[in-house]
Amino acid sequence: MLKSIKPKKWVVAAYLAVPVALYVFTVFAPLVAALFYSFFEWKGGPVKTFNGLANYTQLIHDEVFWSAFWHNIFLVLVCIIGQIGIAFIVVLLINSKVTKLQGIHRTFGFFPSTISAVCIGFIWQMIYDSKRGLLNYFLEAIGRDDLKKVWLNEPSLVMLLVSIPLIWQFIGYYMVILLSAVSSISTEVLESAEIDGATGIQRARYIVLPLIKNTLLVCITLCVAGNMKAFDNIYVMTAGGPGYSSMVMAMYGYKVSFEQSNLGYGSCISVGIFVLALAVIGGSQVLMNYFMTDSYDRNERKHLKQIEKERKQAIKNRKANA
Amino acid sequence: MAKEMKMTKVEDNSAGTRVKRGVLTVVINFFLWFFSLTCIFPLIWMLYSSLKEKRVFNADIMGLPKEPTLVNYTKILSNKDYRLMQSVTNSARTTILSVLLIVLIAFIVGYILARINFALNKPLYVMFLMGMLIPIHSLMVPIYIIFSKMGLSNHWYTLLLPYVSFALPMSIFLVQGYVKGIPTELEEAAAIDGSTFSKTLFGIILPVCKPILVTVAIINVFSCWNEFSFALILIKDRALYTVPLGLKQFTGQFTSDYPKIMAAMLITMAPIVIFYFAFSKQIIKGMVAGAVKG
Repeated sequence: MLKSIKPKKWVVAAYLAVPVALYVFTVFAPLVAALFYSFFEWKGGPVKTFNGLANYTQLIHDEVFWSAFWHNIFLVLVCIIGQIGIAFIVVLLINSKVTKLQGIHRTFGFFPSTISAVCIGFIWQMIYDSKRGLLNYFLEAIGRDDLKKVWLNEPSLVMLLVSIPLIWQFIGYYMVILLSAVSSISTEVLESAEIDGATGIQRARYIVLPLIKNTLLVCITLCVAGNMKAFDNIYVMTAGGPGYSSMVMAMYGYKVSFEQSNLGYGSCISVGIFVLALAVIGGSQVLMNYFMTDSYDRNERKHLKQIEKERKQAIKNRKANA
Repeated sequence: MAKEMKMTKVEDNSAGTRVKRGVLTVVINFFLWFFSLTCIFPLIWMLYSSLKEKRVFNADIMGLPKEPTLVNYTKILSNKDYRLMQSVTNSARTTILSVLLIVLIAFIVGYILARINFALNKPLYVMFLMGMLIPIHSLMVPIYIIFSKMGLSNHWYTLLLPYVSFALPMSIFLVQGYVKGIPTELEEAAAIDGSTFSKTLFGIILPVCKPILVTVAIINVFSCWNEFSFALILIKDRALYTVPLGLKQFTGQFTSDYPKIMAAMLITMAPIVIFYFAFSKQIIKGMVAGAVKG
């Protein structure tokens, strides 16, 4: 904080007035509005009837909403494994000494993250298309015509199929984040491990992974937050269908509010999304902190015990030999 | 470097290690190229497929065009109903204005929150920070209600409001952190020379903050250009469609005419793709800074 300079109060106020007003108007006012309208039966017309908690009881018993919530959770889990897991492997490969043209891999890998979800949705629709799709084209090329399907019409597969584009799009994003973390590890540490005879996998597991733990936590947080708000891809690819088998929360809120113009219940769903998304993000934080520190501590302790045991064994051996 | 050379020399002594190393090199590079090509393949596929006629594409979806034609592009650009170029200019205007406003506001607010001691400093900081936690998709319905009640929907400036507001928390946070790292001597010297608050802010601090402001701008160029859901609910007037909305009209209507959709996507993607490949290094650096510090 500056002590020597004290600008006039009205100057500071003047600078802050517009940003704060804008921010409150577009972020906090809608939250209050959603809460307010969630207590009304309102189909978008001039008539609004107060119906107390009826919307909320409906929400709690709304199977579509809860299946949409679990679909969001499914996306979160699949994307954490897919996006961050694959990104980590790619980072290790890119960082290996024998890799050439690292810059190109980074540029190409990050590319999908820069295009709009609508385009990604279109591209993957073309891949999954039954008559002219790439997927069926390849199945035909390898002689497995029997596996050809109208892919996005399969209720049991559709969640997996819509999560693949999501994974594909953001591998590069997590790759560049992890890459910057890994490249900040001093090469001396890695080289001394190599001289000591640690294999590539051992180096990844015992040196790289613990050193980029914090960045990994950031990635997981981004991944959880990102997938709780999944909407664009799904809107373009399936719009939640077939039936409700690829419905996610934001998509359901959109459908109820704008296609059935049920704005009262739509507001209630919005409140539900708000609470659940916050709860999942917060819960994942708590879980991660607990789990990560714990597992590393446990490993550390196990490791120390192991060393101690070996040392004692060695002393015993030496004594026996003597 | 010297160390590495020494190590390779040691390993080169045994032929077995050399072979193993060679195999490893091939395998690793193969996998990386496979990964990179899957990332870039759709772009290449679209580029050459958009030069095919629908009939040719449907007969062979993978083959290179034997008689390249620009007919898809001319069809799309000459047809007034698609309004595709209009959506590109709309997106460009929205993106440029949003990013300018984001940078300006984040700079001012970030600076004030980092440097000026006043009663509301902490509460305001917490308020802006809380914005990072709010799942913005829960705001879709209420923002629609408020905007349509107040007649704010369907204007050229409509999308600026949510785009700027949603970008502020992260941007302010980045600027605030950056300003804290600047020594206060700069401003103190300026104050002794009789510079006013505004003069110091824009004349002295602004140039110093340039790197972080570039980062803020880069992060938000992409999110503003690609944003879909709020545009979808707030813009109904086709003359105001942004790029993602302009593309949306191709669902259903032409599901069978893939080359045409590809041409449309490429036209709307062009500005952002060129921007990306021209500045990829800075862009990736900016994105990483934004993600890790935010």
